[in-house]
Amino acid sequence: MPIHRASFSALAGLVLLATANHAAAQAPARATAARPASTLPRTPDGRPDLQGNWSNATMTPLERAAGQARALTREQAAALEKGRADVKESGDRAIDPNRPPPPKGGDGSTGAAGNVGGYNYFFIDAGDHVAFVNGEFRSSIIVSPANGRLPALTPAARAWAQQRAARNRGFGQYDNPENRPLAERCLMSFGSNAGPPMIPNAFYNNNYTIVQTKDHVMIMTEMVHDVRTIRMGRPTPTSTDVRPWMGVSWGRWEGDTLVVETSNVHPLQVLSQSVFLNAAFGATDSLRVTERFHLTRPNVILYRFTVNDPLNFTAPWSGELPMIRMDEQIYEYACHEGNYALSNILSGARAMERDSSAVKKPNPKE
Amino acid sequence: MRRTFALVIAAALLLVPSAPLNAHHAFGAEFDPNAPLRLQGKVVKLEWVNPHTWIHLEHVNQAGAKEVWMVEGGTPNTLLRRGLKRESLAYGTEIIVDGYQTKDHSLKRANGRNITFADGRKIFMGSSGTGAPRDGRDPTEPPTPPAAKKPPGGALIQ
Repeated sequence: MPIHRASFSALAGLVLLATANHAAAQAPARATAARPASTLPRTPDGRPDLQGNWSNATMTPLERAAGQARALTREQAAALEKGRADVKESGDRAIDPNRPPPPKGGDGSTGAAGNVGGYNYFFIDAGDHVAFVNGEFRSSIIVSPANGRLPALTPAARAWAQQRAARNRGFGQYDNPENRPLAERCLMSFGSNAGPPMIPNAFYNNNYTIVQTKDHVMIMTEMVHDVRTIRMGRPTPTSTDVRPWMGVSWGRWEGDTLVVETSNVHPLQVLSQSVFLNAAFGATDSLRVTERFHLTRPNVILYRFTVNDPLNFTAPWSGELPMIRMDEQIYEYACHEGNYALSNILSGARAMERDSSAVKKPNPKE
Repeated sequence: MRRTFALVIAAALLLVPSAPLNAHHAFGAEFDPNAPLRLQGKVVKLEWVNPHTWIHLEHVNQAGAKEVWMVEGGTPNTLLRRGLKRESLAYGTEIIVDGYQTKDHSLKRANGRNITFADGRKIFMGSSGTGAPRDGRDPTEPPTPPAAKKPPGGALIQ
């Protein structure tokens, strides 16, 4: 069918791009000059005005694919963006109204679709463009280490990941809501949307509202209405026993850059989109995140961050991506009230347990 | 038969080597790959709620009995941003859904793997955006060539 040919063509293009050796890739010739600081919007107290609605959705992944250079060429970026557009276009096409049910045993899809296929692409809004930072089309959000990949986990972090995986085998992971991931419980955003660091997910609602005063900066994440309150000024010590969601954040201005230092992040929060890390325990006592918000134009914040967590990682890692101003609404993400999915998952596990015990249970009449 | 979402996820995994496992939930934990189904009937209710939209339709089973099924879609926020709302899909509209039933078979719920009108057209169509550069693009850069833009919101209202 045409839809499949188009989809697979797009996919093949993406495969080629993702696996090709891009070592020869060059940055675009024209570097992007930031607007003179004097022309940027400012608050009454003279600071850069970061207030408004912003999005960090991007096709650029957290980690770089093997063999790619940090900067993609304009042509490579265009090909990736065309691949995304082709997938969306093919997803819009009509399909056979007399189609049969999907195959028994699953449709072979992977990832979050989990072999049952998820739902139509019109619900997905993961960004249509490659991130463009300092004159480069970026192949990864991570810029340090230089290979664009997360540093290796420590042996302790690997051990925690194994312990968690062991605990989650069988029905244990479905025993109660507390064993389910934070996003499924509507407690925290997908992946690390709210952060820190604030990293976009590959699905939707990568949107933020920033409100700024002289003493505080508030960042509200649409997914799932997570609110960070950053106090400005000299930090006062916080007991390590205090571990709120998104941690304890203090901000300061270094020239026109807002610098935010965060510690005391809740231990159940995961730090990145990393598949492997999500199997690990989460933020440790040693985690420190430094974020830098720099308004390069009225509509662009260059967002940079460094994660230093020696209990989890063998080295610090840093990333950068643009946040683009939205002239659109942020909508409520009232997740708890309509969360059929969590009850479906738990009741599904109970049904499977019943089926399983019915098979194993000896028949008393025998 | 491969489905679009599967392709999207596969593509996302290629572009995002470390794609998130923790989307709102893993579909494989909620739906039964051994319980495929095809539903056809009129829309009787819409739950335009987060974290997922749920479309209710009245399906006539093989025995001729009417059953109301609930079909899971994505966040309504994305659709709202494209100009779509609950009224974009009128009650009484006949739709076809293929997907998989929840693992708890006592529930008449399924994922909306494909949701179309009776003639096979997609209920909503995707959009490459509303024009706002909210996807990482530096708005001062000249655009790369892709994709013809569709008008915001491809909703078909019947």
